[in-house]
Amino acid sequence: MYNNYYKIGLSLVFTLVATSLVFSQSGEISPKRKQAIDSLALEKVRDLSKYISIIGNKKTAFSEASRVMDRAEELFAPDSEMGVSSLNSKEVKYYKVRKYFEHLIALNYDRVTIQWYDIHYISDLERQPDGKYVGVVTIYQRFEGESDDGLKYKDTTKKDITIYVERKKTQVSGRIIEFWDVLLGDIRVTETSK
Amino acid sequence: MVITSPLVGQIVDDLEDESKLYAQSKQVNQFFRRFNGEEDEKGKRYYPTDRQYQSPKLRKNYLGILFDESNSGISSSLKTEFVKSVLDKGESSILNFHGGNWFSEVKAVFTMNGISQPITLYMELEKDHLGYKWVISKVHADMLDPYFKRDTTKVGRFLHPLSHELAFMNLRKAFEKPDSVSQFTKKRFTPDHLSIFLYEVKKGNLKFKSVEQVKFHFFQLDGWYFELSQFNRPGYNTGWLISNLVKLNTDADKKLLMAYLYQ
Repeated sequence: MYNNYYKIGLSLVFTLVATSLVFSQSGEISPKRKQAIDSLALEKVRDLSKYISIIGNKKTAFSEASRVMDRAEELFAPDSEMGVSSLNSKEVKYYKVRKYFEHLIALNYDRVTIQWYDIHYISDLERQPDGKYVGVVTIYQRFEGESDDGLKYKDTTKKDITIYVERKKTQVSGRIIEFWDVLLGDIRVTETSK
Repeated sequence: MVITSPLVGQIVDDLEDESKLYAQSKQVNQFFRRFNGEEDEKGKRYYPTDRQYQSPKLRKNYLGILFDESNSGISSSLKTEFVKSVLDKGESSILNFHGGNWFSEVKAVFTMNGISQPITLYMELEKDHLGYKWVISKVHADMLDPYFKRDTTKVGRFLHPLSHELAFMNLRKAFEKPDSVSQFTKKRFTPDHLSIFLYEVKKGNLKFKSVEQVKFHFFQLDGWYFELSQFNRPGYNTGWLISNLVKLNTDADKKLLMAYLYQ
């Protein structure tokens, strides 16, 4: 299991460096660049999806889940929150990302299945006052929990995930390389069906 | 997964049809793209170099699915007239995210000294430094209304017209009864809830709790107003949809509607 997310991390670093070569000096984002950034953002979102599936899996040992939570947290900008609402209540409940993961581990089911729909939607990138770009990726998750006593729970949730895109510089073998980095931000979780 | 009590059990049945999720206008951004004819049926974006980009045929197809079908208040003849008007105007009926003339109405809940209170925030996009941001342009709080109520049809209490000769010494009497103090303002005074809102938040009396509903009001298309709301329900007619449509024949119609929406 650990190997899986280690590979994910490696592929991320590779994508980051590879993508960096695509961009020029201009601050504007052309359609071609937008597509490259979309891919990078989607990759981060997929990583998050995989991490959530591992954390939620009842077969995952706590120590391993804890390491995966650390990895998952690294995908996010500081202070990111999950805003969660259900079909029964309009009220949005706020959780820090780490708390949300911890709650996922603590769920009282014997078997948990987390599936992701093969559908996503990526917004345009808009520039913020500080020059960073922001976008939203929408994905859908299917959750099923079952207890040994036959109790079953299922829901489908829409996850609107903030992505922050920033131009950064790094030094590789004495050369300054500019690249676009993607971090995840606040996530709005809406229950769409049970 | 929605964090909820694990005791709330549900019977697992068939997986939801994914095609419904494709049909849904998942983001306001997607509503814009569909309205403008800037993406394919899978949500893949068209760019100005693509043949299909903003094509009238594509726009016509999308415009047909962007209304809340459960709202019988929007007649089919009005919808047809709107769609025809949008298609006839071509480029000038393209919605522009940065084009102004649209704003958001956010129904939120705050607590005032520990008690939940509904407060509506009116938000608009504003250019700032290198980009844009949403800003609060106006606030309405029902809890503040009683403080500004006054009956201007009655003579009521007043400061007589020669008060100035006495250096307004009679202000003491005016402020003696707090309930009637608003009678001493000019007729056209309108209270500004935003200022009080900021004051109370800064004093620590008013605290944010949650957002309950978000809507958008569009005045961007000449001669038309429409409202955009989110519908989270079963079926294909879901997501961000036009929930109200009004034809504006004159500028006076527009001003009246704006005044109504802004309370």
